[in-house]
Amino acid sequence: MLRLGISKVLSGAKIQHVAVVSRAASDIAKKPEKIEVFIDDKSVMVEPGTTVLQAAAQIGVEIPRFCYHERLAVAGNCRMCLVEVEKSPKPVAACAMPVMKGWRIKTDSEMTKRAREGVMEFLLVNHPLDCPICDQGGECDLQDQSMAFGSDRSRFTDIDFSGKRAVEDKDIGPLIKTIMTRCIHCTRCIRFASEVAGVDDLGTTGRGSDMQIGTYVEKFFMSEMSGNVIDLCPVGALTSKPYSFTARPWEIRKVDSIDVLDAVGSNIVVSTRTGEVLRILPRTNEEINEEWLSDKSRFAYDALKRQRLVTPMVKGCDGQLKPVDWEAALLTVAKAMNQAGNKIGAIAGGLTDAEALVSLKDLLNRLGSENLCTEHTFPMDGCATDLRSTYLLNNKIAPVEEADFILLVGANPRLEAPLLNSRIRKGYIHNETDIAVLGPKTDMRYDYEHLGEDPSALNQIASGSHPLAAKLKKAKKPLIIVGADAMARADGGAIRTAAMKLSQELQSNIVDGEWKVLNILHKVAGQVAALDLGYSAGVEKIRNADGIKVLFLLGADEGTISRDDLPKDCFVVYQGHHGDHGASIADAILPGAAYTEKQATYVNTEGRAQQTLVAVTPPGQAKEDWKIIRALSEILGSKLPYDNLDQVRYRLEEVAPHLTRYGAAENANYFKQALAISTMAKGNISNSPLDVKQKKLEDFFMTDAISRASPTMAKCVAAVKKHMESKY
Amino acid sequence: MAQQAVKTLRQVKPLLSLDQGQARSRVLNLYKAWYRQLPYIVHKYDIPKSIGDCKNKLREEFLKHKDLTDVRVIDMLVIKGQMELKETVNIWKQKGHIMTFFKDTEEPKPTDFLSKFLTNTN
Amino acid sequence: MLSSVRKAGCSLWRGVVAPRSIQTSSALQHDSLFVHRDSAADNPDIKFEFTPDNIKRADAILAIYPEGHKRAAMIPLLDLAQRQQGWLPLSAMHAVADMLKLPRMRVYEVATFYTMFMRKPTGKYHLQVCTTTPCWLRGSDEILETICKNLNMKVGETSKDGMYTISEVECLGACVNAPMVQINDDYYEDLTVQDTEEILSDLKAGKRPRAGPRSGRFAAEPLGEPTSLKGEPTGPGFGVRADL
Repeated sequence: MLRLGISKVLSGAKIQHVAVVSRAASDIAKKPEKIEVFIDDKSVMVEPGTTVLQAAAQIGVEIPRFCYHERLAVAGNCRMCLVEVEKSPKPVAACAMPVMKGWRIKTDSEMTKRAREGVMEFLLVNHPLDCPICDQGGECDLQDQSMAFGSDRSRFTDIDFSGKRAVEDKDIGPLIKTIMTRCIHCTRCIRFASEVAGVDDLGTTGRGSDMQIGTYVEKFFMSEMSGNVIDLCPVGALTSKPYSFTARPWEIRKVDSIDVLDAVGSNIVVSTRTGEVLRILPRTNEEINEEWLSDKSRFAYDALKRQRLVTPMVKGCDGQLKPVDWEAALLTVAKAMNQAGNKIGAIAGGLTDAEALVSLKDLLNRLGSENLCTEHTFPMDGCATDLRSTYLLNNKIAPVEEADFILLVGANPRLEAPLLNSRIRKGYIHNETDIAVLGPKTDMRYDYEHLGEDPSALNQIASGSHPLAAKLKKAKKPLIIVGADAMARADGGAIRTAAMKLSQELQSNIVDGEWKVLNILHKVAGQVAALDLGYSAGVEKIRNADGIKVLFLLGADEGTISRDDLPKDCFVVYQGHHGDHGASIADAILPGAAYTEKQATYVNTEGRAQQTLVAVTPPGQAKEDWKIIRALSEILGSKLPYDNLDQVRYRLEEVAPHLTRYGAAENANYFKQALAISTMAKGNISNSPLDVKQKKLEDFFMTDAISRASPTMAKCVAAVKKHMESKY
Repeated sequence: MAQQAVKTLRQVKPLLSLDQGQARSRVLNLYKAWYRQLPYIVHKYDIPKSIGDCKNKLREEFLKHKDLTDVRVIDMLVIKGQMELKETVNIWKQKGHIMTFFKDTEEPKPTDFLSKFLTNTN
Repeated sequence: MLSSVRKAGCSLWRGVVAPRSIQTSSALQHDSLFVHRDSAADNPDIKFEFTPDNIKRADAILAIYPEGHKRAAMIPLLDLAQRQQGWLPLSAMHAVADMLKLPRMRVYEVATFYTMFMRKPTGKYHLQVCTTTPCWLRGSDEILETICKNLNMKVGETSKDGMYTISEVECLGACVNAPMVQINDDYYEDLTVQDTEEILSDLKAGKRPRAGPRSGRFAAEPLGEPTSLKGEPTGPGFGVRADL
């Protein structure tokens, strides 16, 4: 098995070439000549080094497999992929065998069938017959393949019930349930942990029929991407603990959607039954999340049923929030807003969709107020957010793995965007990417050069006085990724200008026209859309505005503004889906819909617009956010000119056309101009050390209104803390 | 008006009646047939309505179409009425079907955004 | 893994199981656990450090392997740790992992795979009695019985004073000198009950018994006389047809 990370750590030197099946490996400069092989007598031209299994896949012949996985190293230990090769006396393992010129491979011959049947029989000898109580039932590779390729009768006569292997279950944390007797030793989970997650805690212990997968010592599998082993497991050995015994795959309705718990915008499938979200699975999108999903996105769904705001509420004369009907709530809010005139402010939180953002902005603009801001801070000096290139991950997520040098400034991608981090790690392992970090030293699951925490190092690198400068300038594909926490500093603008200056300098040596050095990594899903729509970042504007009479919190839950920042008589309206900080200071609450309950547009940190779809209806009287604002506008007497989603999106398109081009990430340009404007701004980098908010794994799980309300996430935090105390 | 109707009558193939008079007699026949059956309907279906209520409803149902002039449409409605009658008399219907004649006109669904929002129908 | 159990099992199965069954005996579970359980003797809090001598040896071992392939030194280092401690505690595995800069799991995998890494406390003298067929035919059961009776222990146990551990093992590759016992690194072969008792009393006396065959043989030559290659070696062309 390939364990490249380790050997790299060990050696300190470079390993020249590693033959791993990855997308990066396929673009070698000079293409060798293709060779011809025959699969079931059909000719196919493949590159040398292609395995039999891949060659077969090229012409749509699927060879059954358990241990083989496209995104993991080849193990070749399940033997399910045995096929006959003409003139070869024995069947060969298709997943591990590179094709030779002129080979005739028979994937449907008698020998192949018998080999498969035999392998299946041996696998089933030591696999319990507990499909009726197994959570994998219905989506189990072993079940499906034993139907397709297995024998129709059993030779296993175990009348004493003594023969089946039994393995004790492991406790590897609050997310993954293990039933190790079902394990067929495909080692996918081990390879995932070792290669993708970078947590080498899983392995095989023992030998022969006593071999088992586990951690040997009592230890949790604590990774921010641990949930993916559930999808990888071809049998029911690793299943989801929160989802256990909940539903069968044929009972559930699946809705394709987008995750909003980080700024990556992972593609997900929401499984629902009877108006309830049962689980969330990743959906393959090569541009964004491949087929992985972070644990927060996967397991925080149980919060969609807890702490929800289900009915409009208005503060009564006794100072208590009382449930009222929509009409009364809207009238109360409208009355307050009418009295306020243009002394209205609005703060949009990190989970807000573009439709709600545009309607709120339109409404406040109509009322004569421009006090619209986002909760998360971003530099507003220099060229502010006028040019998109200054606040996007310009180079996109997928090409990160091709980079040869990555400089992380005040970012902890492992916890802020786990899927971006998995790309960086992939580059680190397969592509020898060098990584340097400016900011606090945190565990990223790869080695990096630590440049200290002084942000002025950026200027030193740009001027060439820093030891790193020479290396960075030699890089052919360098990336600078600036984190949201660095941007949230008071001197964020200066840091950004420094990063822009350095990027511009590096950009000039780059041949690839598409390669963009400057990248900003956001932490929340709503930020980019808000900036696109012209919200100003940070709540300073609200704090400084005098005599705000009405403050409209659109899902603002981070507690960045409190009652003390506002005038005494300020009327606070909170519109959102969870009862959190925002709702606690509100005078009126308008219940909105969470991301699984609305068709809404989100723009990820690359600037890629994607839409969520309605999986379940909002609970109680909660409504889609833009509709609430639209209804409020009518009661206020300044009716917004859209009545349905298409009309809102037409309006979105008017403001920012890329917001409705779903799936596509519009390139941002004008780097030079942005730099020119930015350098005009005054302000220097202060020498206070760079910091990130999320440093340890326990900071990963509860970061927003949804994940804070999730019991599973709370369990994760507890588990990580317990794990920290563990001796292992 | 009548002339126009005649004109159209000439152009299209008549359904049953050749002129207004024939159509009128068919309508009256249907009305009478229903009228005679009403006591039995009330009894057999055990509906919470008196015979008088039913007579009023019958009259109402016929008067709904009092302004029709097209003989073919009248014929068609008469045939439908006969079918209804047959189904009713033969107890092919159930109590609920009869009671739907008495259902009040439903409230029209709101069409503007705000009313839809407030009545939870959008 | 007792042979008697196996015998009983075989006869039982032969009677019951249908001829087409592929399962002929109940699956035997290994006699040691493949997960770690903290105990008083073995837990991660116990310190393990290589002695200065062994550190030198470890460095020498590491020097054999080229840069980038240092993890190949894992088995020799584990062996070194086992020789120092007498067995392989968890903390020794951790020490090896740290030395090789490997995740601990990778060391656990190796240590659990090889049966000669003893992961529980083992006596100073580890008596491994071979009971595979050739030794069994030549009376290994008696040898085992003698040892057990002499030391008043059962198979798999370690004596309270920490001096002896008896284990029953599969073929050690000395079938020609059956029956045999391996004590630590030495093979004691061609054993009889008396030989066994003599060896045990030597061990008790603190002496190191003479290793090798006890039947008077030098090594694996035939008992008594050689049966072949007795004369002078014949020259080239011996026994070849005259016309060739």
